[in-house]
Amino acid sequence: MGTGTNGELKYEISQNAYIKLVLHSLRHKTTSVNGVLVGRINPKDESIVEISDSVPLFHSNLSLLPPLEISLLMIEEHYVAQGLSIVGYFHANERLDDVELSGVGKNIADHISRYFPQSPILLLNNKKLEALSKGNDRSPVMQLCVKDASKNWRVVGADGGTKLLLKEPSANVVLSDYISSEKWKDVVDFDDHLDDVTKDWLNPGLFN
Amino acid sequence: MVTKTEERELNQLENQVENGGGGVWEYLCLVRKLKVRRSELVLKHGLFILNDSGKRSALGPDEWTLYEQVAIAAMDCQSLAVAQNCIKVLQKKFPESKRVGKLEALLLEAKGMWEEAEKAYSILLEDNPLDQVIHKRKVAMAKAQGKPSLAIEHLNKYLEVFMADHDAWRELAEIYVSLQMYKQAAFCYEELILSNPTLPLYHLAYAEVLYTIGGHENLIAARKYYASTIDLTGGKSTRALFGICLCGSAIAQLSRGRNKEDKDVAAPELQSLAASALEKEYKQKAPAKLSLLSSALRSMKL
Repeated sequence: MGTGTNGELKYEISQNAYIKLVLHSLRHKTTSVNGVLVGRINPKDESIVEISDSVPLFHSNLSLLPPLEISLLMIEEHYVAQGLSIVGYFHANERLDDVELSGVGKNIADHISRYFPQSPILLLNNKKLEALSKGNDRSPVMQLCVKDASKNWRVVGADGGTKLLLKEPSANVVLSDYISSEKWKDVVDFDDHLDDVTKDWLNPGLFN
Repeated sequence: MVTKTEERELNQLENQVENGGGGVWEYLCLVRKLKVRRSELVLKHGLFILNDSGKRSALGPDEWTLYEQVAIAAMDCQSLAVAQNCIKVLQKKFPESKRVGKLEALLLEAKGMWEEAEKAYSILLEDNPLDQVIHKRKVAMAKAQGKPSLAIEHLNKYLEVFMADHDAWRELAEIYVSLQMYKQAAFCYEELILSNPTLPLYHLAYAEVLYTIGGHENLIAARKYYASTIDLTGGKSTRALFGICLCGSAIAQLSRGRNKEDKDVAAPELQSLAASALEKEYKQKAPAKLSLLSSALRSMKL
């Protein structure tokens, strides 16, 4: 399997995984939120990382360890049965114009990358999200960040070889629809689950 | 801070209002009383009342409170024209009012005109240097501009004067946590626990921070505060129950290779009690997740 550097990887994110994370950030507009990406390396092509699902994690006190440890344990436990694992990290900053990767985000992503070296950070791009309703942009409203050879996280430019792709080209159309219908109200994260275990962080039936 | 009962009442009213079942004024009053942030709904329903002269005059003197509430909600939703209009009405009714002056300064904030807002607040502070709301706006502005260290500086100065303001201590703690300054956050929670020893929220928050800092002593202390949280909540805090298990596991890992005298005596019984309580809760309320919980707990009993 993979060598030290990422080479030219393609991160392909499924519609559901993608939309869930964006809706989560919209549900908690006034705080930062995070989540994990779930998936696997494409069995036929090692240069493709398939992100088939995502789990929204927290919307408060993102840098406290105990809830994070519990969530990662349970999430891994659940997905391993399907041959999937945690393959990356998602983060949305609190402020509209904040495009920096926070220390917390990098720490959590570092931890994840110990188990899945190609793990990326996806950072919500607020400007792109804002522009969603106005344009026909089919590219994801997220910024891709990967670890470079010196183990530092860097943002991947649009001209980079490594790319983040939406698996379904119409994902943004569906996302816009859900935003109009205020679907984000229905998203459950791990914080919600810890406050009330009847709330299911798997969000079954969210997209039915 | 809102209790579970209050939150339930709020959500009920919210549903009622959103589904056309009336109770708008009760809802708006409750939002004001609980000081929660429901700006989109307040804007929508408050404006509905304000735009109807019949409904408006039925409010009597409360009409002005509603204008204020809607103005703030509008600013939160970036409906600045609506906010401006509400403020104009209030200016006309209460010229020279400091309370309206604060709304004007808040509007400057909403527009991102930070320097002008600072000036406006400074002028207001000249007449009333002990206005807590204005001092807190300075913290909010620092946060909004992405200057957490400045926010911390302001908050610390504020707390030197208003040391009984629990919300401020909590805000400070949360800013410290977001910057991963856990020891400083711990200090804030210590102050909160000292002044409110029976509020489980603070015990829980303190425990989580201690665990995050790590190290044998902190883990032992964290477990104590998770335990006190469980005590104070009658065993209902899922987070605290998990916390006990995590602490037990972490302490055991650290203790490997340590002297037998240091052996963690309390652990096994406490951990299995917490684990059973969790399994009972999941069995009752989230049976689909029970097996996940059990394997997670198993992997913690190293």
